[in-house]
Amino acid sequence: MRRSDKYRFFVILAGLVVLQFSVRGRLGDERIAPDFLLLALLIYTIRAQPGPSAGVGFLVGLLRDALTPASFGVGALAHTVIGYLSSWSKAVFFAENLFVNGWLFFAGTWFRNLVVALFSGKLTAGVLGWELLVWSPLQSLTTAVAGMLVLWLFGRHLAIRLSDA
Amino acid sequence: MALAADRYASRADTLVFIGCVLLSLAAMSLPDRLRDPFARALRQTVLAPFLALQQQTELLSASLERYDAVVAQRDSAALAATFLPELRSENERLRSLLGLGARLASGYVPAEVLHQAEPTNALTFVVSAGRARGVKPLAAVVSPEGLVGMVGSVDAQTSVVVTWAHPEFRASAMAEDGSVYGIVAPYGSDGPWSWLLELQGVPYRQLVPDGTPIITSGLGGVLPRGIRIGAVVRVAGEAEGWERTYLVRPAVHPAAVTHVMILTGQSIRGDLRAAFQSEGKTP
Repeated sequence: MRRSDKYRFFVILAGLVVLQFSVRGRLGDERIAPDFLLLALLIYTIRAQPGPSAGVGFLVGLLRDALTPASFGVGALAHTVIGYLSSWSKAVFFAENLFVNGWLFFAGTWFRNLVVALFSGKLTAGVLGWELLVWSPLQSLTTAVAGMLVLWLFGRHLAIRLSDA
Repeated sequence: MALAADRYASRADTLVFIGCVLLSLAAMSLPDRLRDPFARALRQTVLAPFLALQQQTELLSASLERYDAVVAQRDSAALAATFLPELRSENERLRSLLGLGARLASGYVPAEVLHQAEPTNALTFVVSAGRARGVKPLAAVVSPEGLVGMVGSVDAQTSVVVTWAHPEFRASAMAEDGSVYGIVAPYGSDGPWSWLLELQGVPYRQLVPDGTPIITSGLGGVLPRGIRIGAVVRVAGEAEGWERTYLVRPAVHPAAVTHVMILTGQSIRGDLRAAFQSEGKTP
């Protein structure tokens, strides 16, 4: 990877973080708008080793916990697991394909919401069902679409090779 | 699989992962007195620029919508824009907020709700007003429709609001005519009755008709008297002839709130019934 690509990679990730705190609130219902912060983490994990991915996931989760203190620590746990599993499974199982990466974004978002909802212990069964079967899949879908768009537009700068398969 | 794991995740990676998981579990078990200062420190340092960005974006979008509303009143062509459902509801909410502010006269701080993406957002959320604007812990947080929750912790520029949906939320309440007193708490049940409140501890001989408005009673000195909480839906349960519990439909849903008012100062310590009763009569 060239040095300029490395800078572009982090500029794109920083752009996603800015989108999270600026544009996201204007993209409709909070429960289904794409989660750009998680998307930045997942894109990072595509290229990074599982250890650093878990560490970055932990930091991202901890920062999110400071914003939603109802279940402090749960976000850190969820993002740590997501970071590690995403990086590990990407290296072991997944091919460099746009739709495969989209599926990774979808599954990662849904699994993050599952861990947060289960481990927070604050959601009742009915709310939990709606969250996991309705709102989370919709948010996962919008996040996956946003992620595929980012990879399609900037995949070259992210040094992620996308096959035609 | 094991070979693949050894190949793609080194021992150092696994150790980092285990370390992060243990730190996360430690964070989950932190007591409130350690957790809150730590979370506050993060909000005031690392997250401060991002929260400022989100706040500015909310202010910018609110300003644009207000500008659109003014243009819509002035220009008949732009009037059609007010029929857009989202713009119209936003406009009505801001008007209601202004009306409530006028009736409260003073002793409140307006704030934007900085919603986050996580499922627990409706239980606690961050608002864009903090200690610098006079917000104190346990201050009541209201919208024009009624009670949203109370301030849990306060930073310099932001505050964390614990909404009525939080499992630990409790408020002393009464019927609007003062005939019945009880404690309001989240109903916390399954199915279609989720996101409802319950009025506990009502004596068995006192029947509360469906539709009775429930307001804060002011007992305990935390929440002022007269803030609308909701309306009785039906009886939720009975305790062997001693007491009844009633289901209450909340006046406001935390996830739908975009702007709130935090009640501060001594001037709002009286009875606020008049401020909320006249809600809906404003043009």
